[in-house]
Amino acid sequence: MSETSTHSIDISAMQRSHQALRIEDENVCLSVKDLHLYYGEKEALKGIDMIIPEKKVTAFIGPSGCGKSTLLRCFNRMNDLVDGCRITGEINLHDNNIYAKGTDVAELRRRVGMVFQKPNPFPKSIYENVAYGLRIQGINKKRVIDETVEWALRSAALWDEVKDRLHESALGMSGGQQQRLVIARTVAVKPEVLLLDEPASALDPISTLKIEELIHELKNEFTIAIVTHNMQQAARVSDYTAFMYMGDMVEFGDTNSLFTNPSKQQTEDYITGRYG
Amino acid sequence: MSTELKQKKQTVSQWVKSGDPWVWLNAGAVAISVIMVLGLLALIAVRGLGHFWPADINQGTYSLPSSQPYTLIAERVESTEVPAAQLREAGIDVADHHDLMMRSLMKTGNRDVYGSDFRWIIDEYFTDVTKPEMLFAAERHEWGNLYGYLQAVKEDGQVVASTTDLTPTESALATWATFERSIERATTIYDDIHEVEKDEIGAINHTLERLRLEQRRLELNDKLTPAKQADIDAQRAAEDAKYQALQQRLIDLYAEINRDTFVVQVMDGSVHELQVAKVVRAYRPNSMGIAQKMSFYGSKVWEFLSAEPREANTEGGVFPAIFGTVMMVLLMTVLVTPFGVVAAVYLREYASQGFVTRTIRIAVNNLAGVPSIVYGVFGLGFFIYFLGSGIDQAFFPEALPSPTFGTGGLMWASITLALLTVPVVIVATEEGLSRIPRNVREGSLALGATKAETLWRVVLPMASPAIMTGVILAVARAAGEVAPLMLVGVVKLAPSLPLDGNYPYLHLDQKFMHLGFHIYDVGFQSPNVEAARPLVYATALLLVIVIATLNLAAVTIRNHLREKYKSLEM
Repeated sequence: MSETSTHSIDISAMQRSHQALRIEDENVCLSVKDLHLYYGEKEALKGIDMIIPEKKVTAFIGPSGCGKSTLLRCFNRMNDLVDGCRITGEINLHDNNIYAKGTDVAELRRRVGMVFQKPNPFPKSIYENVAYGLRIQGINKKRVIDETVEWALRSAALWDEVKDRLHESALGMSGGQQQRLVIARTVAVKPEVLLLDEPASALDPISTLKIEELIHELKNEFTIAIVTHNMQQAARVSDYTAFMYMGDMVEFGDTNSLFTNPSKQQTEDYITGRYG
Repeated sequence: MSTELKQKKQTVSQWVKSGDPWVWLNAGAVAISVIMVLGLLALIAVRGLGHFWPADINQGTYSLPSSQPYTLIAERVESTEVPAAQLREAGIDVADHHDLMMRSLMKTGNRDVYGSDFRWIIDEYFTDVTKPEMLFAAERHEWGNLYGYLQAVKEDGQVVASTTDLTPTESALATWATFERSIERATTIYDDIHEVEKDEIGAINHTLERLRLEQRRLELNDKLTPAKQADIDAQRAAEDAKYQALQQRLIDLYAEINRDTFVVQVMDGSVHELQVAKVVRAYRPNSMGIAQKMSFYGSKVWEFLSAEPREANTEGGVFPAIFGTVMMVLLMTVLVTPFGVVAAVYLREYASQGFVTRTIRIAVNNLAGVPSIVYGVFGLGFFIYFLGSGIDQAFFPEALPSPTFGTGGLMWASITLALLTVPVVIVATEEGLSRIPRNVREGSLALGATKAETLWRVVLPMASPAIMTGVILAVARAAGEVAPLMLVGVVKLAPSLPLDGNYPYLHLDQKFMHLGFHIYDVGFQSPNVEAARPLVYATALLLVIVIATLNLAAVTIRNHLREKYKSLEM
């Protein structure tokens, strides 16, 4: 394992690929520098260096426990909530270190939204779910909220399904609708980055398809980072893919090259299903 | 050939293994619990509610062997079977062939004439029993019930209606009708007097007391200028003038109310002249049909619920006690809910879950097991003697040496009970908070909400059914508590309700009445135990109903909240 552990982005591997996408052509949205994360004594992330390109979809794949969700949760400091979690290194959001002292975490999370594995709507109406983030920001003008709710629900391709029952409880929706509602809720605060933590893993194939289509739509406006177990999904939706293993970033590159011509043996083994 | 299936014989051990005995045991335990609860409710309901039914009045001859026979006019209250031997030992000459005899408690009323309301008789010797229609019962403001025959009604000493008949003849009925009109008139005047005394003079007294305190306060602060003194004196003179006017009105009213008298013949044949004003209501149960009895019953129950007590709490109603109980429980709820929730939020959400927090949690849980009288002692010692007298010295020095908050009162009782019930609310709220799924909190945090915003907007609303469960348990416990209240503010008879029209309307410093204490007082502290006993049951039933109503209200709110925040199946 150790021989294949890579601590830096293998730019040379990307240069070899003949794909249209080149990481060095992208605008940098998030950059990660030598990120270590410890749960107590255990080192869960072992020095990650990478960038998340702006207005592209970056997928994280890897076997369970490899640290991909943990890494994702570093981007909006959700790991702060975990007792005994310690982080060294830097993550820069447009040149601002989000782990710098005095960072307004609430403000950061407004700019870096997150959607979780299981749909987690609040026990409120559909309308109030979407309006929640706005109300938190102190926006109370009904007209503004109405417009934003409609825009967010349209962005999440949910408007036509729920426009007649906006004031009914969100808990009465199907799982797929709930997940799109959560995406709408996240989109409503107009973040720069959307973090999707296995957003479709609890859903049926039709709902999964809808979410994937949605991701295609959303990347025009947002930078998206998605964690998934499903390699076909990663191949379908992402522009760039990172393969992680045991807390290391094994390989990071544009999706086509990574899936068709991986530069590391470990990556190839994983995507061809030989382990993981 | 037999086609019957062979019946397998079941052994005891197989039966035990089958689990059937457990089912029977469990079902039996449930059945016994249900029977006990229903039996308890049925007992207090029957005993308590029967009291208001207008019982027939019996007239007959009571002739114990070897003693003088006499006429007895009485209501039957209860009957028991006693061994004849016991009666013989008591010195009653019972015929030899009896083993068991029925003995009855009879209510003869007329305590002013005979000295007691009740006597025990042996049914065997109570003969020629009739239920004459013209026999009447009169409830009085004093001396309990009166039973007898109406003979005359007088106005200003002049006979306006009279009869010598003991049967419903024309003259007897006419006299009765006059009597009823006279009672109605007296009742109206009585209400007027009550209103003047209680409300108007009460308000004047309140103002005078306020003036006295104001003057005293100015004196204490050395700010009593002649101008202010004159102002106070002028106000006082105005109130005094008002008082004089009312006083004159009262004198007139009393002259009015005492105009009528009536003449009654009681069971020993003696004739008495009494004031109509003393009568609350008069009725002839023997001539009443079932419908009349029902409506009479309804009015008695209503009186019980809505009127103030009379005659050392053994007659009249319990309204002040109902009011006091509900008021105290509501105040307690208002105090305990925010306090318990805030404490639980800190323990569960903010405090680091270490040794100290665990110790505090254990201590809180154990507080729920401290006997309630201990809280009463604490309330008396800390709240009343320490805090209360401190408050008096700081804010009410003008009233000293008579205490304002330095004595038991509604506020201290509510706070003491809030302290008693706060562990329940804390435990229930913590339980509720711990059940809120982590991903819902994260959902809120990920949208840029702070921890406090998440708590306030998402977590607490979702935990509200659990909080309500805590409140329900707290209400159930607090409403039934009596022991601590006896130390911190409950009294046998409060002169006025803690909520009235005089500023500041809600008198937190006032003593109040409570149904639980009322039961104890009526049952054990009453001079007339026989008369009070049915009221004990009625009050107990009422207390159960009040608590059930309060609980039901809370349960309804909880179910509504549960429906709203239906648990997220994730």
